[in-house]
Amino acid sequence: MKRAVWQKILDTYARWQIGALPGFTFLGLIIFVRLTGFFQYHEWLVFDSFLRWRPTEEVDDRITIIGINEADIQSLKAYPIPDRELALLIDTLQEYQPRAIGLDIVRDHPVEPGHQELTAVFEKSKNLFVVEKVLPETIAPPIISTVQIGFIDAVFDNDGRLRRSLLGMPNPQDRQDYKHSLTLRLATAYLASEGISLENGIRDVKTMRFGAVELPQIHPYSGGYVRTDAGGLQILLNYRNSQNPFHSLSLNDVKSRNFDPAWLRDRIIIIGMTTPSAKDVFNITAIASSHSAPGEIYGVEVQAHAVSQIISTVLDGRSLIWTWADGWEYLWIMGWGIVGIILGWLPLAPHKNFIGVGIASICLVGASYVLLIWWGLWIPVVPTVLVLVLNGVGLTAFYQYDRAMRSRLNERQSTINHTYTTIHNGPLQTLKLLIKQSRDREIHQDELISKLTQIDSELREVYESLEREVQTQEHSLRIGSGQEINLNAPLHETLYQVYSQTLERDFPCYRTLQLKIPNFEPIDERHLSIEQKRSLCQFLEEALCNVGKHAKGVTRLRTDCLQKEDQCIVRVKDNGSNSSVSSEGRGTKQAMQLARQLRGKFHRQSSPEGTICELTWRTKKSWFS
Amino acid sequence: MSNNLLQQKQKILVIDDHETVLNGTIYALKQHYPEAEIRTAQTAQQLLEQLPSFKPDLVVMDLSIPEKVGEHDKSDVGIQLLKTLMQQYPTLNFTVQSSYMKALVRIKPAIDAHQGGFTVADKSLSTKEMLKRVDWALQGLTYTKDLKAIHSGLEIKQDWLTLLQLAFEEELQDKEIAKRMLVSDRTVRHYWTKVQDVLDVYPDEGKKNIRIQTEKRAREAGLID
Repeated sequence: MKRAVWQKILDTYARWQIGALPGFTFLGLIIFVRLTGFFQYHEWLVFDSFLRWRPTEEVDDRITIIGINEADIQSLKAYPIPDRELALLIDTLQEYQPRAIGLDIVRDHPVEPGHQELTAVFEKSKNLFVVEKVLPETIAPPIISTVQIGFIDAVFDNDGRLRRSLLGMPNPQDRQDYKHSLTLRLATAYLASEGISLENGIRDVKTMRFGAVELPQIHPYSGGYVRTDAGGLQILLNYRNSQNPFHSLSLNDVKSRNFDPAWLRDRIIIIGMTTPSAKDVFNITAIASSHSAPGEIYGVEVQAHAVSQIISTVLDGRSLIWTWADGWEYLWIMGWGIVGIILGWLPLAPHKNFIGVGIASICLVGASYVLLIWWGLWIPVVPTVLVLVLNGVGLTAFYQYDRAMRSRLNERQSTINHTYTTIHNGPLQTLKLLIKQSRDREIHQDELISKLTQIDSELREVYESLEREVQTQEHSLRIGSGQEINLNAPLHETLYQVYSQTLERDFPCYRTLQLKIPNFEPIDERHLSIEQKRSLCQFLEEALCNVGKHAKGVTRLRTDCLQKEDQCIVRVKDNGSNSSVSSEGRGTKQAMQLARQLRGKFHRQSSPEGTICELTWRTKKSWFS
Repeated sequence: MSNNLLQQKQKILVIDDHETVLNGTIYALKQHYPEAEIRTAQTAQQLLEQLPSFKPDLVVMDLSIPEKVGEHDKSDVGIQLLKTLMQQYPTLNFTVQSSYMKALVRIKPAIDAHQGGFTVADKSLSTKEMLKRVDWALQGLTYTKDLKAIHSGLEIKQDWLTLLQLAFEEELQDKEIAKRMLVSDRTVRHYWTKVQDVLDVYPDEGKKNIRIQTEKRAREAGLID
């Protein structure tokens, strides 16, 4: 018993193994391709699409953008914007006591007129932050306290899109000097007045932390990235998904004081160029672009998004985008690869398998979307779906083929076995006897011909029986004479076959038979199951065998199988002197059981004049005929 | 007797999927019935298509034939076809050619009930013997000796037994027998051919009286006192 179970497990494992090998090969291949970075572009595409499909978010009113647009430049009739205009702008803004001002316009050299005035404004504004560019081509900051300088360098992906925010990095000229970005400066300044200061991480000491929030630092293999430049401290940009994510004013709006003062008071104000001519635009597809050309966003807007995402996370619990450690990502991919193998392995119809794989893929994509939207978790989607579909669909073909081949092999083996047994039990025995008799020179010409004819017919029966077996499988009955009877044929034909085959058997009492009167007529068999037909055949066979074995001196045998109105009869009547048939034999019990099933009667009577054995039942009335 | 039949124009339909066998059979038939109109079919489908318009007197058929062109031959197809034909044309004459006659046992009840001629001819029979069987079938006789059980005893239907008793014990004419048995004259003739087949009484060249021979054999077999 234990052994059988063990064998079954081994068999199941062996079958599973057939697809598991190509399954794990696919898996390995996908992981390899992922490592080459081939999927990066597709992963970014999915990532951006998921972000774009997010529900719309509210305006972040902690930040206001002052965008100097083409109209402003037209009215100034000067570009770059003269220092005086900036000084005036900052002064005006300061009247409304903003929490921090970011000047996202480079001022590495004076733009007269008004340089003196701007320098003075820089000196007195402790909440003002200016910009520099640290990485080549470098751009120097204006003269101001170093804690008021933030860099505006950005790291782009290979497809030219901006998805990350560079928060801090060592100065390439002086490794001891750790530079902060404008984003970080503004966020730090804003949060400082909330009593939250910038600290080192606790779980990851290399990252930054505001209160309880650690900024999830990018590493070269984060999410869909492969061998990306993760220098400095970078985090992924979780753009605020909205048509107008921030309040925005133009230079002219500020000059003419055409705004709600609440937009400036205690806010972060970021000043930048919002005109295509300033060339301060970035390519993004993660959100719909607001003002400029499709797929583009102004630098000042990027700053706003970057600052907003940190502050919203710390104060509102909005999520930053984070990724799993590589190990978990590969475990995730492998897990779904195995789900694919299992789906392929399940013995389902191919179309059901496809539906299964389809549902699993939808679940997988859905789960990836929900994880990103609700928890900001970016997990690999493309290789995971690919391995699931490849394994699920590809292995279905594999397993289906294997199953078909296996069943064909089994069929063939059983046919071979069956053929051998049949030939061995029949013609081979006769043949051996014949050889023996020939050797002993005991055989006459006539007998030889009759024996050879017998072998001929036995060999043909093998073929007939095989053919029927293929056609009907369980719908046949092997009777004692070795013949297969097709149970699909009409009942009276089937019973006649049982009758004629059984009477050919070599039973002692058949030798005295002079007259056989068969009467086989069609019977309404619509309500008989194959099993009941089988039992009826066995009943007739048993009854006829009893005649052969026990009806001494029988000369006449009448066999009826007929229907009179709704009464069906199978009856065997002989005129032998029958004494020894016990009425409690196995055959009798079976006959009684069959009679009960058909709601009929079984009747058997022996007398010196002969024996009657009969089964009668009524056909059920059909409701429709 | 065959001379009489030669006077009429016989229509014979032969079905066999083996070209050579078909040609051999047709050659033999043409020699024997020079006036006859002989048509052929190679599949069950072809035969069923030709039958209604051709209205043959005799169908000479192989059991092992394909259902349609391009399919393999199976004895089941032949048996099913034979069953269908016997049902639709109860008086059509048949000569069944096969190398394995025992397959016909399956439809013995239908053969017993068939009113037309029905003879079997093993493919290993000589042409002369084969033509004899064809002739018998055309005469409406039955020859199924090859299907009979090897072991003892005659197999006979109750009606045929009654016929023997009425004819030889009560010495009645066929017309009277038909009345007593509540069947047609034609059925009585059909019973006679069946009984003669059971008793192995077939017409022979010596032109013995068949009825007398039948009576003799029936007495020997103990069917009548």
